[in-house]
Amino acid sequence: MRVLDYEIPDKLYYSKEHEWVRLEGKEAVVGITDYAQKQLHEIVYVEVQKEGSEVKQFQTMGTVESVKSVSDVFSPVTGKITKVNRELTDSPERLNEDPYGKGWLAKIDLTDFKKDMEKLLTAAQYADYIKTMET
Amino acid sequence: MSKSLRRTHLYQFHKQNAKMVEFAGFEMPIWYKGIIPEHMAVRTRVGMFDITHMGRAIITGAKSEAFLNHVITNDVSILTPLSAQYSVMCNENGGIKDDFVLSRLELEKFLIVYNSANREKDYQWLVQNSRAFNVKVEDVSDNIAMFAVQGHNAQQTLQKIADADLSRIERFKCGWTKLADEEGFVSRTGYTGEDGFEVFVWNTPLSNPEKAVKVWNAILEAGKEFGIEPCGLGARDTLRLEAGMCLYGNDIDEAITPFEAGLGFVVKLKKESFIGRDILTKQKAEGIKRKRVGLRMLEKGPSPRPKQEVWKDAQKIGYVTSGMFSPLLEGGIAMAYVSIEQATEGEAVTVKVRDKSLKAEIVKFPFYDPTKYGYARQK
Repeated sequence: MRVLDYEIPDKLYYSKEHEWVRLEGKEAVVGITDYAQKQLHEIVYVEVQKEGSEVKQFQTMGTVESVKSVSDVFSPVTGKITKVNRELTDSPERLNEDPYGKGWLAKIDLTDFKKDMEKLLTAAQYADYIKTMET
Repeated sequence: MSKSLRRTHLYQFHKQNAKMVEFAGFEMPIWYKGIIPEHMAVRTRVGMFDITHMGRAIITGAKSEAFLNHVITNDVSILTPLSAQYSVMCNENGGIKDDFVLSRLELEKFLIVYNSANREKDYQWLVQNSRAFNVKVEDVSDNIAMFAVQGHNAQQTLQKIADADLSRIERFKCGWTKLADEEGFVSRTGYTGEDGFEVFVWNTPLSNPEKAVKVWNAILEAGKEFGIEPCGLGARDTLRLEAGMCLYGNDIDEAITPFEAGLGFVVKLKKESFIGRDILTKQKAEGIKRKRVGLRMLEKGPSPRPKQEVWKDAQKIGYVTSGMFSPLLEGGIAMAYVSIEQATEGEAVTVKVRDKSLKAEIVKFPFYDPTKYGYARQK
């Protein structure tokens, strides 16, 4: 769906810190939302923890820098990073151009997604949350 | 955003076209299209900033030159009418109260333009120190709109709506001119490193913004053929850093002296007396312990940011005061204060960015090649 100026794909899960989760079997692909990339604007550097790192839900898993600011990225799920998107090293602008596609940050081997899910939002819930941010 | 924030004449334009932020009590545009395209417009063509949020005061009276020579560090007596100079004023400890541009309008009339964050402080300081002199200090901030038109097409852009011959106004000179038929004043100064003008629209109170809006729109229209962009505070900051210019509150403040900041060229110790002179004279004789330098990151990676530590071998030698991604150089650049022993061009250092030590080199200002960019570029 599209809410205000922001794309919010229906089948993903979302965190209030503006990360998204897409399930692929027992793995999750994670990234930052269209709202997040539009707020940051002009992303010039992306850093994600190394493959093999354990990450916990809502704890730092990386950093995104725009020209003038630095923001933490929080993992929306608990698990082990199996793959990071290396293309972002040379092309950090992928996060701006395609936040739900080529701008994915990492793949995470899930520990207990049922538990993670309790604290995540559906697309409809995230859309409502975005509306409250904009008013 | 809170309703109590101050706005400029161009608020409606900004609100419709830009992302807005709070800055020094004002609601201001941070970017319209984006910091990078706005930055590049100024470096390669022309861009325009609304800088009405800056503080402005007019000083008049027979003793105004003597008063200013007492309160600021530069030599005011060398300023001829319709000339401008960059300067600082210091506290009694030699720390920088503020940096600013001072223009001599007439023999006994000056215009000072200082940082928005210091508007109240500077005005009070000027008034307080003017009591021994027969001068009038008048805050005219809210009665004048101010735009910076910067970039090597700035003169061509403005000339289309100005009645004065702008080619006769040299760098750090000023002049009166009609702009889109309105009463205006221009000075060939700026905060980007590029050629350009700062434009003042006289007698346009915030309550009656029409004149300011008219001149702003006329400049945008005149600049169209050159690809002018309205620019926000984001590009203003990246441009001034690339040019090696200080931002008050980041790179200079009341605990830093002009010598440490590399601004010794505006301190005229030969003047009889001025506030801070004794300590500055002593510091000049004894030498400084730390100095402001430029850092250029040597590897692709995160950009340096304020407060990060600068190291040489196993020793901490200083800290970053401004740091960001340079749109022109496409890498991290910074200003830092480092111990005088290491403050040498070409010195290899590291900057601690989060858990990493990143390689950097001490470089001279400006960060760009001055034969290709900036006011002194070769055609």
